[in-house]
Amino acid sequence: MSYLYRDDAPVDFNLFRRKILIGGGLVLGGLATAPIVPTVAANTSASDFPNQFMELSSLLIAHRLNHDVGLRLAAALRMKDTAFPAHVSGLIEIAKNKNAKIVEDFFADVPGGPLRDTALLIISAWYLGVIVDEPGAEVFAYELALMYQPTRDVMTIPTYAISGPNGWTSEGRPLANMPDF
Amino acid sequence: MATETNADVVIVGTGIVGCLIAQQMLDSGLSVLMLEAGPRVDRWRIVENFRNLPPGLRLHFDAPYPPKPWAPHMESYSDAAAAEYLQLEGPNARAYRQGYVRYAGGATRHWAGICWRLTPEDMRLKSLYGVARDWDLDYSALEPYYTRAEYAIGVCGPSDPALQWPPIRSKRYPMGPLPFGPGEQRFTDAAARLGLKNVPAAQARNSRIAYDGRPPCCGNNNCIPVCPIAAKYDAATALPKIEAKGGRILANAVAYRVETGQKNAIEAVHYFDSDKHSHRVIGKIFVLACNGIETPKLLLLSKDERNPKGVANSSDQVGRNMMDQPKLVAELILAEPMWTGVGPVQGSSIMQTSQGEFRSKHGGALFRFNNLARGAFGGVAAVRQGLVGKALDAEIRRLSACTAELTIEHELIPDPNNRLTLSNKKDWLGINKPNIYYDVGDYVRRSAKEYSVPLVRKLAAELGATDVQVSTEFTNSDHIMGGTIMGADSAASVVDIDCRAHDHHNLFLPGGGAMTTGGCGNSTLTMAALALKAADAIATQMKSS
Repeated sequence: MSYLYRDDAPVDFNLFRRKILIGGGLVLGGLATAPIVPTVAANTSASDFPNQFMELSSLLIAHRLNHDVGLRLAAALRMKDTAFPAHVSGLIEIAKNKNAKIVEDFFADVPGGPLRDTALLIISAWYLGVIVDEPGAEVFAYELALMYQPTRDVMTIPTYAISGPNGWTSEGRPLANMPDF
Repeated sequence: MATETNADVVIVGTGIVGCLIAQQMLDSGLSVLMLEAGPRVDRWRIVENFRNLPPGLRLHFDAPYPPKPWAPHMESYSDAAAAEYLQLEGPNARAYRQGYVRYAGGATRHWAGICWRLTPEDMRLKSLYGVARDWDLDYSALEPYYTRAEYAIGVCGPSDPALQWPPIRSKRYPMGPLPFGPGEQRFTDAAARLGLKNVPAAQARNSRIAYDGRPPCCGNNNCIPVCPIAAKYDAATALPKIEAKGGRILANAVAYRVETGQKNAIEAVHYFDSDKHSHRVIGKIFVLACNGIETPKLLLLSKDERNPKGVANSSDQVGRNMMDQPKLVAELILAEPMWTGVGPVQGSSIMQTSQGEFRSKHGGALFRFNNLARGAFGGVAAVRQGLVGKALDAEIRRLSACTAELTIEHELIPDPNNRLTLSNKKDWLGINKPNIYYDVGDYVRRSAKEYSVPLVRKLAAELGATDVQVSTEFTNSDHIMGGTIMGADSAASVVDIDCRAHDHHNLFLPGGGAMTTGGCGNSTLTMAALALKAADAIATQMKSS
């Protein structure tokens, strides 16, 4: 059978979500031709930035964060906005001044405007798995997107079954029993 | 043995109808060639396409199936995109935005797998209630084919007649029912308090055991838009079985003309490949099973000197009587968690509300709890509130667990003014796009106003809803019916009770288009039953010739 009439051979299929930024040094897919390190804020070196991003992410989100997803988000957010590293530094500084451990310790001190927008954008990206939610947007996380985790004790993350053949029941769970994630 | 240009039976379309017929033809010793307009794509690719959709697109069931330029289908991600292929007009144009995909395997790739049968009363609306048409085929004649269809595709369902719909069966389901999740159980309990029975759906999903080489359902909650493990029947699973029996399947082969010859017999089907080269395929019997829109479109495209209104269209009924089950949705906010996302995306319905003497005045309605996991819904809504920390997590959990969707699907009656014609707009290959005028009619509007919406509000109240928003615009259910309507009278219908075209002895048009009326439930099992009935007729006809 000629190829014209079959196209189920696994060729040239682009798995955006699985193309991973390795150690801040390699970006595949749509980002491949863009500069890896854009203009960096004066007090943020290129090599420090992924760590700063993860540090801030951990202050904004008190859950276990996947390092690979974080590296990809950091690179993409920095390319989207050259001022992003400066905002990250600014937010870390506010948190340090408050000796913050979790977001509730310092979020009220984040002024409205670019800094607050940056904080919410980072939270949104980790929770939704995308930076923008629109057709054609790159997906950074599906099953690791944090929005699925507060209900993972009951609800299936679609395509990732949590039971087995006829293994589910009609038993619900109380709202107060927040899963650990 | 079929070649790429010749077979005993040429089948256009690789959905459930085409595949069921192909398998039976091959078992009868006949050669089979299938033409599929769209691509043939592995399951894992569709699964990865789905997972790589941004959250806002994951409820657009066509989104993991990007159309090829030569085989366009409606893309729902925006109104502008949706208007590209299907040309829709009329008071309820929005309600005919049908979401079929032109891929090998057809629309069963993203169906929910629900397998309701019609009831005897659903097939006798004219004689019982004085509306619409009667089928010229009664339930007892269709029942053996329903049973065969259930065993062919693997349907699970309850063995207790009190839970069956309708409980008129010659044989038990091949598998037992699937369990309910918490939301579906709460809905069932609330309905019972109102005197209504929410019954387990007959579903083409393997329950507890493997069936026909496919594994049991393990609750991936992604039947729509793709079952990742093929526990749900879809026709893509039949394709390798057809090839193993010697059938030939040509993907990316877009049929654009049916050629007639002496005695108005069908001589050939012409198709374009993806390089716009034309090919001619010949056979003894031709089956058009391209779905309820593409089949009438192809017939109208094929008009010639013998058939000036289109092939099979001496009655002028091709493309008329377009039907679906117009849908309304109630969005609920609840004080207590309901929980969705446990088990398959659909698993039950209230069916008794589809029947009654009221059908002389308005249509019946089906009520269903949507069991799609609402984690993404809760997540997106909570993030947009700008919440952080524990407040964000708590709001995601609340919005995901304490919201729900109830769907109403209405019975619509055939109206010749609901009509598919050829648009002047052309697609990439230069083929006319389908144009459809659609008005759900007063039969449906009265049902919504006087019957279904008041009842869904009662159900919502019984569930403890603190807020209920019922949609005011009808939308599509993707159950395309009527465009090649069946009947004994060749002046008023397109096909006979075997789905054979009145005008062409060797042309069969099985599927939703042949359905005389549609009731309230998903049309797929009836389409499958009609396919098997047509297959019997084809085998008999081939033997006698």
